[in-house]
Amino acid sequence: MKIENQGECLSISEIHELTAQNSAIFRDEVQAALSGSPAVIEINLSKTRFMDSSGLGALFALYRATAKRHGVILRLLNPMPEIQQLLELTQMQQLFEIVRR
Amino acid sequence: MAAPLLEPARPATLRLAFAPDLASARAVSIAIRTFLAEQGVAEKELFSYELCISEASNNAVEYAEGYAKSLKPVAEALFTPSQIELRVTDHTAGFDLPEKITAPSPLTDRGRGLFLIQSVMDEVRYLRGTKENILVMRKKRRAAPTLAASGLDPFNLPSIEKYQQHLSESSAQMSRMAEELKLRSETLSSVFRCCAELGRIDKVSESFEKRLLVDLLHLTSADWYVLRMLSTDGRRLLVAAASEPDLAKETIELPAVDGKPACIEASVAASVTARRFDNRESSDPSEPLRTVGPEGAGLVCPLSFGGTLVGTIAVGRRNGDFPLGRLQDEVIRTFAEFLAIQTLNIRHQKDEVRNLVIARELEIAQTIQHLLLPRTLPQLSGFSVAGGWQSAREVGGDFYDAIALDDQSLLLMIADVMGKGVPAALFATTMRGLLLGLAARSSDPSQLLSSLNRLLYKELSSVSMFITAQIVHVDLKTRKLTAASAGHCPLHFVQPGRRSISTMQIKGLPLGVMPDTEYPHMTALMGSPAALLLYTDGLVDRRNPAGKIYGQTRLKTWLRLNATPGRGATEVRDLLATELNRFRGDADMSDDQAFLILVEEGTGSARVAPAGKRRIPLRRGSFLFPSTAGAPATS
Repeated sequence: MKIENQGECLSISEIHELTAQNSAIFRDEVQAALSGSPAVIEINLSKTRFMDSSGLGALFALYRATAKRHGVILRLLNPMPEIQQLLELTQMQQLFEIVRR
Repeated sequence: MAAPLLEPARPATLRLAFAPDLASARAVSIAIRTFLAEQGVAEKELFSYELCISEASNNAVEYAEGYAKSLKPVAEALFTPSQIELRVTDHTAGFDLPEKITAPSPLTDRGRGLFLIQSVMDEVRYLRGTKENILVMRKKRRAAPTLAASGLDPFNLPSIEKYQQHLSESSAQMSRMAEELKLRSETLSSVFRCCAELGRIDKVSESFEKRLLVDLLHLTSADWYVLRMLSTDGRRLLVAAASEPDLAKETIELPAVDGKPACIEASVAASVTARRFDNRESSDPSEPLRTVGPEGAGLVCPLSFGGTLVGTIAVGRRNGDFPLGRLQDEVIRTFAEFLAIQTLNIRHQKDEVRNLVIARELEIAQTIQHLLLPRTLPQLSGFSVAGGWQSAREVGGDFYDAIALDDQSLLLMIADVMGKGVPAALFATTMRGLLLGLAARSSDPSQLLSSLNRLLYKELSSVSMFITAQIVHVDLKTRKLTAASAGHCPLHFVQPGRRSISTMQIKGLPLGVMPDTEYPHMTALMGSPAALLLYTDGLVDRRNPAGKIYGQTRLKTWLRLNATPGRGATEVRDLLATELNRFRGDADMSDDQAFLILVEEGTGSARVAPAGKRRIPLRRGSFLFPSTAGAPATS
């Protein structure tokens, strides 16, 4: 996983999977990077091959900590169709901007 | 031409036990995804299956508490082209799986895992056991052949005929799939329904094996089974069905009451207690269950109900790393009990049918017995004849007859068919009929026996039976007795001028032993008043409770004291019957017995009794007496 602080935008990428096994690490590392108070958080899911409910939980935790409290824009970039379906199935696509570029 | 459709007989299966941590749970999900990919499952489907295994495995790890944290959960995937089944066995306290989980709010962090599983799979069940539960997730698959897979070239579009052919093939395939789905009983309840259907089947049949036991394997994720039924003598366990031929080879001998059982199944049969086994813990090379492999393990259950053992069933896995869990144990035990009940039900029904058959046979036998003994006996001038008969069974092979030739002579005959029951009675009836016919042409006992032997030899020898018989011609005018015997016991009579009873022992082979046999005769004169007794050996061989036989000496003494002037044959017969029953006491009857008595009563007009209409009452263990027409005159 790669986390880059690009001014107001926190960019997270190189996530191969987001599961029960690594979601805690994901949370901790992203939490640590939030100290710069970014206005936008972009999570690049183009390389994310698999995500389970714990991974969704990690995204939800991020939403609660940022967008819900501080109006931070949460953007998911280029999720694979299966991940997009997963987000839709759980109605979590409402919480994020899903962007393809 | 379309390639032949080959279907796997059993699902391709991957079964993995994993350490109860999230990293192992993750590794298991990936392994199952890889396995399904190898089975040809499309990439877009794989995500769903990986997700389900992942959710279930994570739950198995995260919700384990206390001791259960050290137990390994198991993840399984069973693949057939028409269905994928995923299972995860956990050791948690379990939970109640709702029929339908509604979509959780996006603003909550809970309840997504099970919701996802239910959304993705067609059927989800949670089988709860004691400290072990199984989440079963099924997805039906529809074969969606691509143009390339169907052998159609998109650049060279086929004719309508080809489309129709393709359509009919697809439709046939669909109906096969529908059939398979219908046949596969995948829940315990349907197994039991199956069982109930099969309860009507007499024996463990091929369809039994295919349907029920394969279903049991699926339900318990087992690899093999051996079903053994107890032989009718209760000494052996015979293979009734087995998952593979190697397991069906051995018959197991059960030890005597105090003997040591030779193998696991024998010990389960002897103790009527289920037992787990693991081949890694035993090195006995003679153990039949070693056939399942050096690492095989499983459960052997007795098939018993209400204290009656009917067989054993052994079910297990080849790899001892994945022993059957408690839930599977419970399924097998329940199945075994149900099978025992079914088997006993069938046997009970068979017994009822058998009892009906036996009752009918007895009815027939009694009818025959009525035909066997003469309803009336001839009573000639100054003489009376009476007979007594008692059978150890419902129908016997001893019989007698007396035929009046004219008003001065008669034939007395007594016989014992070696053998019991209906066949013996049938021979007796035949012989009696033959004798009546033959007596019209000859009154010579020797000739009569020779003729009877000639006529009956073939039938008797073909069933290894024979008949002892004795025929006596009595000339009342000259008081001459002419007797011949076919291996029969002696007759007793009173000679002129002597008070003691004489015995006439005549040589002769029984009827049915040699094809052409001569029967010598003996003659004697009767004293006055005359008394003559013919009998079968059951009478002198009769034993009292102390085991002593009645014997000829006792019989002769009794005859001398009781065949006294003034007594008619009927009275003497009644006295003899009473005497014989008194002697026997409580002892069992071991053989049939019959006797025929002729006594001289005094003077009177000779007459032949007409055939009486009275039916002979049949009572086991008591003497039967045909009616003697007309009250005998007393001298």
